[in-house]
Amino acid sequence: MKGMRFGKRAWIIAVNSLIILSVIAFVAAYAGKYNRDYVSTRVRAFEDRTFAEEQITANYLRGEQQLCDSWAAYIRANSLTMEEAVSFVRSSLTNNGVTAAVLYADTPEMDGLSASPKNGTEDDYSVSYRQIHLFPEDGIGGGEGDLPNGRINITRAYTNPINGIQSIAFYDRVTVNEGDAARQALLLRIVPTTLLEKQWVFPKEEFQNAEVSLIDEEGNYIIRSNSFKNTNFYEFYKSYNTTDLAGIEALKDTVASSTGSLVMRNSRDQECLVAYTPMQDSEGWSILAYLRMEDLGTGSVDWLLIGVVTAGLLLLLLVDAAVMLNFNRRLRAAVKEADAANRAKTDFLSTMSHDIRTPMNAIIGLTAIAEKNLDDRDSVSDCLRKIGMAGSHLLTLINDILDISKVESGRLTLNAADFSIVDTAENLVNLSAPMVKEKNIRFNFRTSGIEKEWLCADQLRLNQIYINLLSNAVKYTEPGGSVSVSLKEEPAEEEGDVLLTYVVADTGIGMTPEFMAKMYQPFSRQTDSRVNTIQGTGLGLAITKQMVELMNGTIDCESAPGQGTTFTVKLKLPAAKRKTAEMSLPDADVLVVDDDEVLCETAVDTLHSLGAQAESAAGAEEALEKILGRHREGHDWSVIILDWKMPGMNGAELARRIRQEIGDGVPILLVSAYDWTDIEEEAKAAGVNGFVSKPLFRSTLYQKLSDLLGREASANEAEDDNSDLAGMKILVAEDNDINWEIISMLMQMNGIDCDRAENGQIAVDTVRDAPADRYDLIFMDIQMPVMNGLDATRAIRALPVGHAKSIPIIAMTADAFSENVAECIDAGMNGHIAKPIDINIVLKEIRKIKENQ
Amino acid sequence: MKQNIRAILALLLCAACVVCTAGCASTDTPDGGSAEQQTPVGEAEEEIPAEEPFVPSLPSDTAATVHVAGHYNNFEALEAEFDRFNEYYPDVELSYTYLDNYNGTIEVVLSGAEAPDIFFSYPWMLEREDLKSVIETAEDLSDPSLGLNLSCIQEKLLYRDADGKIPILPVFCTTYGMLVNEAIFEKEGLNIPRTYDELLSVCGALQKAGYSSPMMGYSRGSFMLFPLSFPYFCAEIQGNEEALENLNALTPGAGEYARDALALAADFLGRGYIDMDACGALENDYQAVILRFFEGDVPMMLATAGTVSGTEKRESLSDAYIAHPFKYSYHPVPSTDAGGYFLNQLSMGFSVNRNSENLDMANEFMRFLTRTEELSRMAQVKRMVTPCRDMSFDGVYTSFGALSGGHVIYLSDVGLEDAPDQQMRRAGTRICNGSMTVDEAVAAFGTLEN
Repeated sequence: MKGMRFGKRAWIIAVNSLIILSVIAFVAAYAGKYNRDYVSTRVRAFEDRTFAEEQITANYLRGEQQLCDSWAAYIRANSLTMEEAVSFVRSSLTNNGVTAAVLYADTPEMDGLSASPKNGTEDDYSVSYRQIHLFPEDGIGGGEGDLPNGRINITRAYTNPINGIQSIAFYDRVTVNEGDAARQALLLRIVPTTLLEKQWVFPKEEFQNAEVSLIDEEGNYIIRSNSFKNTNFYEFYKSYNTTDLAGIEALKDTVASSTGSLVMRNSRDQECLVAYTPMQDSEGWSILAYLRMEDLGTGSVDWLLIGVVTAGLLLLLLVDAAVMLNFNRRLRAAVKEADAANRAKTDFLSTMSHDIRTPMNAIIGLTAIAEKNLDDRDSVSDCLRKIGMAGSHLLTLINDILDISKVESGRLTLNAADFSIVDTAENLVNLSAPMVKEKNIRFNFRTSGIEKEWLCADQLRLNQIYINLLSNAVKYTEPGGSVSVSLKEEPAEEEGDVLLTYVVADTGIGMTPEFMAKMYQPFSRQTDSRVNTIQGTGLGLAITKQMVELMNGTIDCESAPGQGTTFTVKLKLPAAKRKTAEMSLPDADVLVVDDDEVLCETAVDTLHSLGAQAESAAGAEEALEKILGRHREGHDWSVIILDWKMPGMNGAELARRIRQEIGDGVPILLVSAYDWTDIEEEAKAAGVNGFVSKPLFRSTLYQKLSDLLGREASANEAEDDNSDLAGMKILVAEDNDINWEIISMLMQMNGIDCDRAENGQIAVDTVRDAPADRYDLIFMDIQMPVMNGLDATRAIRALPVGHAKSIPIIAMTADAFSENVAECIDAGMNGHIAKPIDINIVLKEIRKIKENQ
Repeated sequence: MKQNIRAILALLLCAACVVCTAGCASTDTPDGGSAEQQTPVGEAEEEIPAEEPFVPSLPSDTAATVHVAGHYNNFEALEAEFDRFNEYYPDVELSYTYLDNYNGTIEVVLSGAEAPDIFFSYPWMLEREDLKSVIETAEDLSDPSLGLNLSCIQEKLLYRDADGKIPILPVFCTTYGMLVNEAIFEKEGLNIPRTYDELLSVCGALQKAGYSSPMMGYSRGSFMLFPLSFPYFCAEIQGNEEALENLNALTPGAGEYARDALALAADFLGRGYIDMDACGALENDYQAVILRFFEGDVPMMLATAGTVSGTEKRESLSDAYIAHPFKYSYHPVPSTDAGGYFLNQLSMGFSVNRNSENLDMANEFMRFLTRTEELSRMAQVKRMVTPCRDMSFDGVYTSFGALSGGHVIYLSDVGLEDAPDQQMRRAGTRICNGSMTVDEAVAAFGTLEN
């Protein structure tokens, strides 16, 4: 497998390399072609420019020749002597360096007179060109007029014997009189090459550093620029380029007869371009233009282009490789995660199967037992109680599954509503009390700073967070351990908000760092030999964290194996506009007795806030002393609050002592962390008048003290007394017969009459046809044949009968998601009860509706 | 992958080794042979101190023009030095100009508006009254402030004027000898002659083998056998103060000192080993002589080192040589039983125009040139004899490196002036063209006109 992977990688690298090399080769070839085309274009331009230079040169030389010819014509026309001729040309010269000479042409001496004196003399005008070898040794021959008109007669560059300056000479034949005879002579118009070079330059705009020379048919330079070496162009060519005699002869012919260019090497072994074109007016002469190839503008650009492309491709390859490697790594990680998730889900399904079958087994089994023992009331009752417990557990399981499903699909939404944090805390205590009691765990629940009782949040989810953490703490704490809960309210930075800090600390099995790293992942459960019997879905923490984050809160955890766990949840919630009901106990004078100093202070503060007088005693002895002191003064406390568990003397004993000492005049309220059913009989026998659970909330204290002091408590309802609901009439839209039977039976048990509508359409028809006061309420199932509950509700609200618009409609459905609730409200319903139904919740809803009516 | 990298590294190392090995190999010479180190002749046998590398004394960005004027039509060797100098001074523009009728125009040129910064100069200029102003224009190169390392040059080639100044930097030396077609000697099973007798014997053998003119040379209006006679003549009079005094003074009877040398020429000429008509057909003593030699049927061609300098470049101009190339070399002409002579003579030197507008840079260029590396390089390119103490003969000159002792002669040591030199040439010319006998030439010595 590894070999295959390596082979694939090598194959990919090879293909990529091949592509890169191909691209580079293409770019190089393209750049090369572009370069060649560019060079070719530039070479043609250089040749054209050279050809144009020939025209300029010809014009210039022609002009100089014409000047020479005009002098000659004058000399010839006026039959001047040598001296007169020289005198004439001298007078015609300007002071620009041009000079002249007249030489006898009929003698090999080639001597004569110069228009300017020899260097270092003032009157020596004699000159000889014999050693200069400008002309054939036997003279130029012919007679006057032999030199054709229009032809440029020019010498090569030579050293002027008069002034030592390198010059060229334009010449024409003249005759000079010498006595009676006329002698043939040559008139030279001598131009210094430096002067010529200044006027005869290759245009620099287009071809910088270009130079130009003029050669005769043998290659001898007539005019030579600096880069042309030697005294002969072909010697120059031979010196630095490989050729033979035939090659030189061919080159001579080409240069003398056509316009073109050649590439040669110079003395520095550099490639040079030499363009040539023949001079039209001077047979055999050619213009040569010289330019180094590097000055032609080629060379570096191509390599730069190739370099950039190469670097770019390599960079692209590296970046791609890095990205691919990163993708692959992430893919592998994702695959690993997916595998782990699949395994976790498989494990979860296995667990769920087990966890669901367990209570189902109990339900089915206990149901069978109950059927067999229908005559044994106690047995049936016990079976039913256990069936109810198994059902509750099953419901919890299903709710958790639903929640995690929503979490994973991102459809978990919050439905904020006003709620009482005090009720929430009480509910927490009440819910946890049975578990705590069962496991014999020390439980401590404290609140502090609860200034604003009514807050606005999704109470259901908040409860879920708090209960999850608390039930986990209890679950994972061994008997004899302790669980402490702290709920603190503080003002938040934003006005109107409060910061709720909920801390659950246990002395349980704790968690390993490895497990903590994944504890918020779904389907994770800490395993421990000590807690292997713990039931749970492994979804609680995942749901909790999601909900905390959904509420913009934070959740932190500190834990170590064997050292317990502390979860801290911080939530910032807005305070509700709803005010806490006016509570006041101005007449109360209360003594709080508890060894817990914090509880004493909290209770005293709370009582003070209610307008009551309050003192505390840290123990039974101090309490008795204070009570007796007051009694002797004839100023008994109006209420005494005793903690149940105190060192030395517990609450019941202290109550007994109080009754012994001061009689039954002062009501005694016993405080317990758990429910007081176990101690109720003993406590009442000792003289306790009432019971209250920790923590001591303001509202709880107010209600209990009001009861003891003979005040009416507004919300003091007997839980089991539903007689107020008797006589109400409810229309139940339910297609399922069993569900109809359950609800109708439960309602009848509470004196409530029910009619059934088997589907939505029947419900609509029933409402339409019924008198206005026929039904107090409608329970509406959602999924029904013919017409579903939502459509039926809309239809009812749309009925032209008046009561149809106001009759309360409560959804009663197994569609338990929050969006289902929202749909129901949108359709015109007034509330939502999820199946399986809790009769207490149903009755509570019914009561609310009755009270609103 | 790792193996591939190792293979690439191994290849690179191999390539580096090959390059290094190549770098250590012998240097190719222009004629394709190896630059074998030869024992230096004469004073070159002394220990030669190591030279310091050239260090510019002027700012490297100095811009200037340096113009050299001379009588060489082509001077690639100097142009190569221009390029090398530009590596130190890239903004200096150097150029070389051929002057027509150099000896006749140099004085005018130096006084003109375009006077060169450096110009060709020759020892005989020191003796010529008409060129006195030329030498006077020259910078004293022995001036220590110029920093020229004249110690790298053979002392006997450094000429001084009356004031003891050194106006000429020796650049090339010349000598006299004969070009030998080694292929013919190999074909005929002959050895290159080392003595006069061997020369005669070889010529006889060659003539028998069908070579009508075993020896050739340029004869038009010149002493064709000068390479045979003149070194011999110099060897004879060297150290003979009286002879030298009479010869330089051209006193009557001084021709007797030249008799033996002239008789040697007459003797060889009389043997019939030279086809005078064929020699008379040679138009000049340079290109024509070389191209004739390259025809491949001339076993020996009398020539000066100056002529030899043009051989390499003209190989490509000879169809015959291109078709049938052969190995050739340059040898002293054996004039005695003990062999021939290496007459070392300054051919050409450089002088700096002290009126130059670019005097500092001209002197700097001369300082650059006055080093064995540069002067020897120029001599090698030009195929002339180097003036440096470390002569390191190579290529065609190898046999000159084998000479030593009294067979190495410096013309400056001999002390012969230009006038008896010219008389010797004129006398020899007349003997060769048959217009005079040896006796007549000896008698007329000192009065012979050109």
